[in-house]
Amino acid sequence: MPRIPTRIRKLDEAELKVLKRRVDVVTAIIIVFIAILISRLWFLQIHRGQDYSKLSENNRVRARDIAAPRGNILDRKGNIVVANRPQFNVVWVREDTPNPDKVIKSLAKILDEDISALLKIVRESADKPRYVPIRLKKDIDWKTLVYIENHKIDLPGVRIEVLPIRDYLFGDLASHLIGYLGEVNPDELKSLQWKGYLGGDQIGKMGVEKLYEDHLHGEKGRKYVEVDALGFEQKQLEAQEPLPGNDVYLTIDHKLQLAAEQAMEGKAGAVIAMEVNTGKILVLASSPPLKLEEFVDGISTTAWKSMLDNPLHPLLNKSIQGQYPPASTYKINTALAALESGAITPKTIFYCSGALKFGNKTYRCWKKSGHGAIDLHRALAESCDVYFYHASQETGIDNIAKYAQSFGLGTKTGINLEHEKPGLIPTSAWKKRKYGESWQDGETLSASIGQGFNLATPLQICQMMAALVNGGILYRPQLVLSVKGLEGESLQSFTPLVDGKILGSPQNIALIREGLVAAVNHPRGTGGAARLKSIKVGGKTGTAQVVGLSQHKDLKEDEIPYKYRDHAWFTAYAPADKPEIAVAVIVEHGGHGGSTAGPIAKKVLKQYFNILSDDADFFPVIETD
Amino acid sequence: MFKFDRRLLQNFDWIFLLAILIIAVMGIANLYSATAMNEYFGTPVYMKQLYYYLLGFGLAILLISFDYRLFMSWNYILYAGAILLLVIALVFGSTVAGTQRWINLGFFRLQPSEPAKLVLVITLASYYYRKDTGKGFGLRELGVPALLTALPFLLILKQPDLGTALMFCFIFISMTLFVRLKWTTLATLVGSCCALIPIGWNYFLKPYQKQRVLTLFNPELDPSGSGYHILQSKIAVGSGSTFGKGFLKGTQGHLEFLPERHTDFAFSVWAEEWGFLGSLFFLICFFFLLLLGLNIALSSRDKFGVLLAFGIISLIFWQAFINIAMILGLLPVVGMPLPLFSYGGSSLITTLAGLAILMNIRMRRFMAPTL
Repeated sequence: MPRIPTRIRKLDEAELKVLKRRVDVVTAIIIVFIAILISRLWFLQIHRGQDYSKLSENNRVRARDIAAPRGNILDRKGNIVVANRPQFNVVWVREDTPNPDKVIKSLAKILDEDISALLKIVRESADKPRYVPIRLKKDIDWKTLVYIENHKIDLPGVRIEVLPIRDYLFGDLASHLIGYLGEVNPDELKSLQWKGYLGGDQIGKMGVEKLYEDHLHGEKGRKYVEVDALGFEQKQLEAQEPLPGNDVYLTIDHKLQLAAEQAMEGKAGAVIAMEVNTGKILVLASSPPLKLEEFVDGISTTAWKSMLDNPLHPLLNKSIQGQYPPASTYKINTALAALESGAITPKTIFYCSGALKFGNKTYRCWKKSGHGAIDLHRALAESCDVYFYHASQETGIDNIAKYAQSFGLGTKTGINLEHEKPGLIPTSAWKKRKYGESWQDGETLSASIGQGFNLATPLQICQMMAALVNGGILYRPQLVLSVKGLEGESLQSFTPLVDGKILGSPQNIALIREGLVAAVNHPRGTGGAARLKSIKVGGKTGTAQVVGLSQHKDLKEDEIPYKYRDHAWFTAYAPADKPEIAVAVIVEHGGHGGSTAGPIAKKVLKQYFNILSDDADFFPVIETD
Repeated sequence: MFKFDRRLLQNFDWIFLLAILIIAVMGIANLYSATAMNEYFGTPVYMKQLYYYLLGFGLAILLISFDYRLFMSWNYILYAGAILLLVIALVFGSTVAGTQRWINLGFFRLQPSEPAKLVLVITLASYYYRKDTGKGFGLRELGVPALLTALPFLLILKQPDLGTALMFCFIFISMTLFVRLKWTTLATLVGSCCALIPIGWNYFLKPYQKQRVLTLFNPELDPSGSGYHILQSKIAVGSGSTFGKGFLKGTQGHLEFLPERHTDFAFSVWAEEWGFLGSLFFLICFFFLLLLGLNIALSSRDKFGVLLAFGIISLIFWQAFINIAMILGLLPVVGMPLPLFSYGGSSLITTLAGLAILMNIRMRRFMAPTL
């Protein structure tokens, strides 16, 4: 048993007193410290209690956005062209995964992805908080989805996210006009944040998707959920369902558009069809189309580059951005200008020997053997160049330009699409301004047949044709019929807009129309390829020279390198006596307008008039102009 | 000497025991609430705490059955044992969250740094008692207790466990200031302390530890990082307002926004659910316990009793103050349990052992030490 070594000594007694006095000091110190704690408690709980209660509420309750389904895009008849479908994405919340390596390994197997590829995605989000889900794979198939759902327990932290994404029911139909979506970029975010956009949201980047973004995007829903610190939903408190976007009804007819695009398959160019009496667009096709599916998940660099490098330029909306010499389609304008200015009368006859010497240059007709003595009617039908060379002499360039401008050429049509090009109608003043040189008379000859400086977009040519045959009214091309809400209520509907009236008397216009009908229906007409048995069609061919290289002159069409081949034009209207529809077709490097562009216009017309048979498919086609 | 004196029972401080029990009930109820939402496998946390309490009370009965003055004879054995356990923890201990603090005993994971605190109190009380200097302690006499403190301090710092290690400094400083120091010694100590702070900051603190100190002053700088604990704790406490959200209704705690809510941040749960009034009640109870403890020191007939009682009180007080100050955002976040309140067997049993020693001193206040 150990001895207790305590001693009571005098010294102890003295020191005991000192120590006991110190206990009082210690008591005082403790009181001060406790008072500090109490006053801090008072500050936090009573003075700032209200603020912290609010913070605590925000902490507990999280607002989670629910993406709104985008509005549909429909055609004029209410057929859905673009809708939405659910996309199932695999997301991973790192914080909820005790064994990340194992999870990534199993995910790689399930998703059939490289582990390194998955890790790369994870690394890219390394700076985000660990509770933020990382999207590992987008748009998984049903089988994978079921597998993951069934093996949830083995995949802690892995979740399936469902997002509404664009569903293109007709593939790439009207791709340039519909446009595509992309992730909202920082600049857009800055200007749009007040509208509720957040990083990662989809926004229209082009076409109708962009221009009608306000209508289409809808309003995000929001659910309030009680969460724990791991972000796991404990229970849902309240939810505000998302408001789907409004539906946009286009003026196009999807069947017509389809017919046009099918006819253009493998070719580069554009097809426009328009209601002549309203300006409503029936077809707006640019070929090759954009591969919309590639944009759904954000386009890859390689896909983007291949589009950029594609010699057929799929990224360009050729219907409004392609500027081509209007070629012989321009003779419609030259004819009107010549008639109106009195340079010619319907009875005026010129002689075509196959070429016209002017100054020290020879201007050729497409028909080397020449048309002989020819009047306006035949000149339009057979597209005699020499006739218009002669006619333009008296008319003069500025007169020709004046009428062209009244057709809307040389300026943007004002269609509601971005990046439209104005084309170019030269005048003497323009040349002076641009080059500081005066206009040469020889240049008028080229201009009269739509070559030289002249440039027009396919849409402009279509608009010109429509204005010619509708009584002279220049309608602004219209793409959207209406915007309708959830219940189908009309929120906005558009009426035709008139941009002007063409110059020219009805008699002269009628004369030209007769020439155009002959071009399609006369055996010697250049537009026979668009002839229909049951409906009378009027039209004009055109062959736009890409380069005036004489070296290719004697070669057959398919012997000339693709990029030097001429562009083929065709513009038509029907029915001839009571026009409803105007069509313009351009096939880039397609050779002659009659043989290449004509049949495409015909397919559109057949679809428009619902002609199902092979009705009048065989007509002799003059392989030129 | 083990024969039980009837007078001991008469002198037993029932009020002191009652105060402990009241705090114990609050602590267990709080643990019940803090972990109510969790589905733990096996025994619930509050039940385990209850078992530790029973274990602690068992040990307490043992500790009051002999004269506390025996500790003076045993103090070097106790000290050697404590150091040995710390070394074992460091060498063989189970690694939890990157620290080596525990010795796995199978049924119980002992954290040797907890009993080591009490052992240091006993050691220092014994040393200061034995080393009587009529004129007060000079620097030379402080060398030994400083070394006695430094050894466990460094071992624990190595685990690493900054909070617990700092407690050894607090115990040493408190007890050393409590005994009679020479004025010159005091001045030297204070001066060198001031000089050591920047050196310690630059050479001894790990970057994350510095970060904790820095974020204390501006937790909003990094709400999801190191300021997270402080911010969430302040939200929990503050949102309790005057009357609290009610038992089991603390959203902050239950939704796991509070980290470590059953151990170091247990008081946040309490403050959130019981509000200012509940927190005040807890502090008053705790304060009352400390005052009773100081009263025990006052009532002791010998210097060892006074020193020992004071040491134990300072141990409990500093832990409580640092823990609550940390929860309230007044001090940086360090691992520091709230005695009798935080979950943890080693801490609880150590605290109960300390309180048992206080009762031991109390019971023997009229007894002349047997020579």
